[in-house]
Amino acid sequence: MQAADIATLLVNSLTWAMATFLVAAGLTLVFGTLHILNFSHGGFFMIGAYAAYSLTNSLGGSTSMALYLFGALAAGVLVALLGIVIDRLVLRRLAGVEDAYVLIATYALLLVCEGSTKLIWGLNYHTVAPPVALDGAWMPLNAVVPKLSVFIIAAGAVVFVLLEFFLNRTGPGRLVKAIAADPWMARLLGINVRLVYTATVAIGFALAGLAGGLLVSNQSLSPTLASAFVIQAFGVIIIGGMGSIAGAFVGSILLGLIDAVGQWVMPGLPGLPFFIAMTLILLLRPQGLMGKGKY
Amino acid sequence: MSATSFIGGGSRRDWVILAVVMGAAMFVPNVLNRGLVFIAGMIWINAVFGLSFNLLFGLSGVLSFGQAMFFAAGAYAAAVLTQHFGIPFLPALLLSAVVGAVLSGLVGIVALRRSEGVYFAILTLAFAELMHLLVANTALLGRNDGLSGLQRPRLGVGALQIDLAAGDNFYYFIVLACGLLIALIRWVIDTPFGRALQAVKQDPDRAEFLGIPVRLHRLLIFVFAGATTAAAGALVAPWAQIVTPELAHWSNSTNPILYTLLGGSAYFWGPVLGAVALSAVFYLTRTLVGMSDMATGMLLLVVVLALPGGMLGLLSRWTGWRRRPVGAPLAKTSGGTSA
Repeated sequence: MQAADIATLLVNSLTWAMATFLVAAGLTLVFGTLHILNFSHGGFFMIGAYAAYSLTNSLGGSTSMALYLFGALAAGVLVALLGIVIDRLVLRRLAGVEDAYVLIATYALLLVCEGSTKLIWGLNYHTVAPPVALDGAWMPLNAVVPKLSVFIIAAGAVVFVLLEFFLNRTGPGRLVKAIAADPWMARLLGINVRLVYTATVAIGFALAGLAGGLLVSNQSLSPTLASAFVIQAFGVIIIGGMGSIAGAFVGSILLGLIDAVGQWVMPGLPGLPFFIAMTLILLLRPQGLMGKGKY
Repeated sequence: MSATSFIGGGSRRDWVILAVVMGAAMFVPNVLNRGLVFIAGMIWINAVFGLSFNLLFGLSGVLSFGQAMFFAAGAYAAAVLTQHFGIPFLPALLLSAVVGAVLSGLVGIVALRRSEGVYFAILTLAFAELMHLLVANTALLGRNDGLSGLQRPRLGVGALQIDLAAGDNFYYFIVLACGLLIALIRWVIDTPFGRALQAVKQDPDRAEFLGIPVRLHRLLIFVFAGATTAAAGALVAPWAQIVTPELAHWSNSTNPILYTLLGGSAYFWGPVLGAVALSAVFYLTRTLVGMSDMATGMLLLVVVLALPGGMLGLLSRWTGWRRRPVGAPLAKTSGGTSA
């Protein structure tokens, strides 16, 4: 294997990692704060992707960078609004419910997401061409570096930095962390915990929608997108430590590398190294590599 | 984790119900067409699948998201043993159950030791996906295409030969086999072992103090459920005449969960009623793509949020049949630990 091949492999695995992190970020944020492991997160990611697809199509389907970004942001806003509705109708009622039932209830939501996607957009595969600025690839020293990959890696890193900044350096972010640590004490201090929960859900869902919009060109759209990505995101947040943003970031990079090395070592079995790593971590260190289930 | 007590009616009542349902099911081929008879057979198999899951969930308080791996193991074992090795069907059926027991023993030993609650659910899901990928990439098992063209077997002892491929014979065989499995499951619930599991579900710590080896009991019921699940899977192989890796996909693991929750996890007959109801939903929405997911998801949401007793809980509320108070399965006894 040559240096250029290794570089290509590295770029691919980092792309996988950041795509997965974009989905996992909102999932782990909601888990860390509300202690709800949201099975339907992948479903709302998928709805975000389809929404961005429809929006850019209805605006003429031009492949300008501005429209692509606008589609992603609009998908984020739309899914955030959906999140507020879902919070009112479902998540709020899951407070104090057994974990097993929470998992099953959010799985039911995933089914609703998949059903509505099939009803609205049908079963056919759709593909979205990347904007012209992201089409093609750079070839430094014979390594293949698709521009879209660079964009996704950058997007993942930017979202990670912004989220960490928000949670650690801003007032509202610290409020979220405080409530995640001790909702009872926060309530005692006069904080409107319910409102912060709703805001957290909105942010988490916005991240799902945004991820959908940003990744819309990364793979074809089909109703199976939701379950594929939610399992990947589960793996990532388990490896990183559920509820930890930094853990999800590191976990996604780690799993991306494991997956890439696995594909190189046993090319016949795609996806297998991912599940082996996931089961091993769950068995050996269920709290994940970083953290104690909190930030 | 706290929850409702498991509500078995009197065991005598359940034997009568089983006998009546089996008797009625024998007339299905006389009144319904071929396609519906096939669905009826699948309902019997799925009922066993659901009841096995509920041994873990409703009876013992263990949520597994990976039961499909045992179902698929049974189906593939039956297919391979009969097709490749020419083993007669009845021994193959028993061996499939053994395969399910061994596999669930292996998974249970590592998974039950290291994890609980949601972590156990995700861990079993990961194991099942691992199995799904392995099956889909094994040449002997037909990779992604699975094994097709499976023959329905011929049973025979000496002069007495029954060709299960003829007419609706295999349907009758399914009713008998599933009836036996259901009776076995019902019997286990009534044994001291089954009662100890109910204690484990209600309060694992107290059960341990009372001298019940909690982990061993959970492992044993996991293995037992793995065996009955695999037996159900083994019946699918000749019934559908094809086995595919889809059987091991995690979405198949959610089927028994759906049956159980819809029917009522606190009731013995809950998963059976759920399997019937869900099959009806699938049948009625079969022409409209996406509608079955939508309807299933909505039903499940309503059940979890508003009707924790499921359909049987609703029924018993209307008729006042319940013998013991149902309690609220959703309420946590110690409040405040989670938001």
